[in-house]
Amino acid sequence: MALDLAELILDRAHNAAVLMDEQGVVTYWNPSAERMFGLAREQAVGRRVADLIVPERLRETHLAGLERFLADGTGPVLDKRIEIAALRADGGEFPVEITISAHRDADRWFFHAFIQDISERVHGERDRERLVEELRAALRGSERRFDAIVGSLTDPVTIRDREHRFLYANRAALAHLGFESWEQLRETAPATIMSDYVVRDEHGEEVAMSDIPSVRLLRGETAEPLLIQTINRETGVQRWNLLKAAPLLDERGVLDATIMIIEDVTEQRRAELRNSFLADAGAALASSLDYEQTLRNVAELAVPGIADWCAVDLVDDEGDRKTVAVAHVDRERLSLAEALRSYVPDRVDPDEGLGRVLHTGEAVVYPHITDEMLAAAAVDAHHLELLRAVGFRSVLIVPMRLGERILGAMTLVSAESVRTLDRFDQELAEQVAARAAAAIENSRLYSERSRIARRLQQNLLPEQLPAIPGYDLGSIYLPAVETSMVGGDFYDIWEAQERWLIVIGDITGKGVEAAALTSLVRHTLRAAAEFHSSPAALLSFVDATLKKRPSLSVCTALCVALEGDTATIAVGGHPLPLYMTADGVREVGEHGPLLGAFPGARWQDSTLRLTAGSTLLAYTDGITDAQGGEEERFGLGRLCDTLVQLAERPAAEVIDELVRRLDEFQIGTHADDTAAIALHRSADGATPSGRETHAVLRTGTITTPV
Amino acid sequence: MVRPVRLEVRVQPGRERPTLAVDGELDLSSIPLLAQHIDAQIESEQEALTLDLSGVSFMDSSGLRLLIELNERAERDGWSLSLIAPQNESATLVLRMTGADRELPFEGPPLS
Repeated sequence: MALDLAELILDRAHNAAVLMDEQGVVTYWNPSAERMFGLAREQAVGRRVADLIVPERLRETHLAGLERFLADGTGPVLDKRIEIAALRADGGEFPVEITISAHRDADRWFFHAFIQDISERVHGERDRERLVEELRAALRGSERRFDAIVGSLTDPVTIRDREHRFLYANRAALAHLGFESWEQLRETAPATIMSDYVVRDEHGEEVAMSDIPSVRLLRGETAEPLLIQTINRETGVQRWNLLKAAPLLDERGVLDATIMIIEDVTEQRRAELRNSFLADAGAALASSLDYEQTLRNVAELAVPGIADWCAVDLVDDEGDRKTVAVAHVDRERLSLAEALRSYVPDRVDPDEGLGRVLHTGEAVVYPHITDEMLAAAAVDAHHLELLRAVGFRSVLIVPMRLGERILGAMTLVSAESVRTLDRFDQELAEQVAARAAAAIENSRLYSERSRIARRLQQNLLPEQLPAIPGYDLGSIYLPAVETSMVGGDFYDIWEAQERWLIVIGDITGKGVEAAALTSLVRHTLRAAAEFHSSPAALLSFVDATLKKRPSLSVCTALCVALEGDTATIAVGGHPLPLYMTADGVREVGEHGPLLGAFPGARWQDSTLRLTAGSTLLAYTDGITDAQGGEEERFGLGRLCDTLVQLAERPAAEVIDELVRRLDEFQIGTHADDTAAIALHRSADGATPSGRETHAVLRTGTITTPV
Repeated sequence: MVRPVRLEVRVQPGRERPTLAVDGELDLSSIPLLAQHIDAQIESEQEALTLDLSGVSFMDSSGLRLLIELNERAERDGWSLSLIAPQNESATLVLRMTGADRELPFEGPPLS
């Protein structure tokens, strides 16, 4: 394979990636590393990491650590995030966060490091510390110097005395608190200011005056920075603020006053929330192929992610709408939402609200709902009563569209939170709606079970078995009938580094996610096979990749590297392969742990000489677990009995007979995926003419109509 | 043909720790049933749970996945999980094959 997939991925990584060998010499250096350290790949590869990016004072430690690891395997810095100083090509130092992992390839170690530049984060923290220092110094000195520093600062700064009265507020603080002059602020009680806002912490809990960091300092407590969201009760405008307080001590060291810096983090916080919301929505949208369930999941996420209420309507070819999901922050008020929804006619007015969105495909926003608007919209007195009970603040309706086609709309309402839905909410809602539209379309397109199975399978299995000189091959793939389990078993055969690799495995998991995992495992194996020669090292690499995933990702795998008549076998949580000769059938290889599941897992390579006429059969537990009558399973015994009679037969015959015996035994249909690969070494060591490969790929069994 | 689910879960309140005794076959078709029992048990009692699998006659990889997920959940949420291994040898196969017999919190001596 000319193209190394792992490099292809690393070449595009945002983080710097560096590979190093046992001598501490760079073997790979990605473009992000080039940018971060100001050093081209050609200049870096072949030189020692110690001389390139480790500051001189840390060099000894780095080299000693490497030496110790190679000597006794202890690596206290491995596999965790470490903050440390790094060196740029121009001699400048900067703080980085680095994660180093060690891998064994054949009899040698190599190390890879991912590095992130954290200068900005560190500097931000230092600046604030310095500011507080300067404030303290300035307050002890002259008033004028103090105001010169703080007055023009864009972050609001206030100073309060022990009774919590304002001693000082800079211009930004006055504007932030909604005051025109210092005098006006001085005469207002702090509690009055707070009562103009709904104040909550990042978890949505109400924040009281006593939780404010400066007030905590006055009580003699330590005050961690506090992230709060404020919603102006009158305007409905929401802001996110980070409150940081520091004590001002008098000459005797007694608390005299408190300084509070109010950092406006609205943009960052909203961007964070948007990203995490979109990630959650993406996961919810991919979780099921049942789109009505999917839409209900997304509606549940939208409250309180975006608003207090969310309703999703779909429109059919005749233009009639149907509500498929309603969610409310307060479950007790859900019935009110549903009662109101019943007032919306199936055929909506194309000029107003929902009808207009479904008609034009453009979003509609009502930032401030007035009582007049409710009265105009109400059909009768009871309807008006319900509408008033909601306490509408804002309404936002966004289309779910796909190109020119409008599939439906999402309606978002803010009420209890008193928050005004704004441009930001609209953008977020539009993005979610667009993704939901794509998900609906996908599930409609592939709602036929057999089609899903066939499609995913095509992507997850090799298109055809390759011809391996000296061998003939056969395979079985019988997918489970329950297609929500698509993505269970997989196998792959390919050539890398002048040897053949044969992999079979089982991913336990459901739906699209499992299919994605299957494809990740296959691609990781293919990429890793270009730089690891041992099957045990390949399994170790996949294990490390799976462990980096946020959710539990485990799989079994059996990996065989075939070079001439020598097979090297490593097994991770998978049934051992069966070796069939005229002398009988036996299991070969050694059991190793499941991949992605357990810390500190290790795998072993076993070597096997394949004699002429012998067959190696790798299979998944779908075969041994196949269910017959009387609570019986096919089992290893029955499998071996079947194979004994097939010793020295071509792979195609082994496969066909195995399928026949399974069909005979099995009651009903396959409950789990079933896969097997047979590798038969030709009697004379030459490739037989005619059928070198034979695949039984059965998709016809899953035509159950939806 | 739809097979009946061959699994029975009993809550055993008399023991020192809350215990769920599982009998029958632990596979794709019966996993949801066991998962429901476990969720209900964890919701009512957050400190500890013993899962007695001694009556399990068959377990496949989906059963194993449930155990691994449960173990992660216990570690994450800080409660104590304890497992009693199946007595049936074929039911322990998947545990021995995957190394789960050593990694999951089974009571008693190792299986293999």
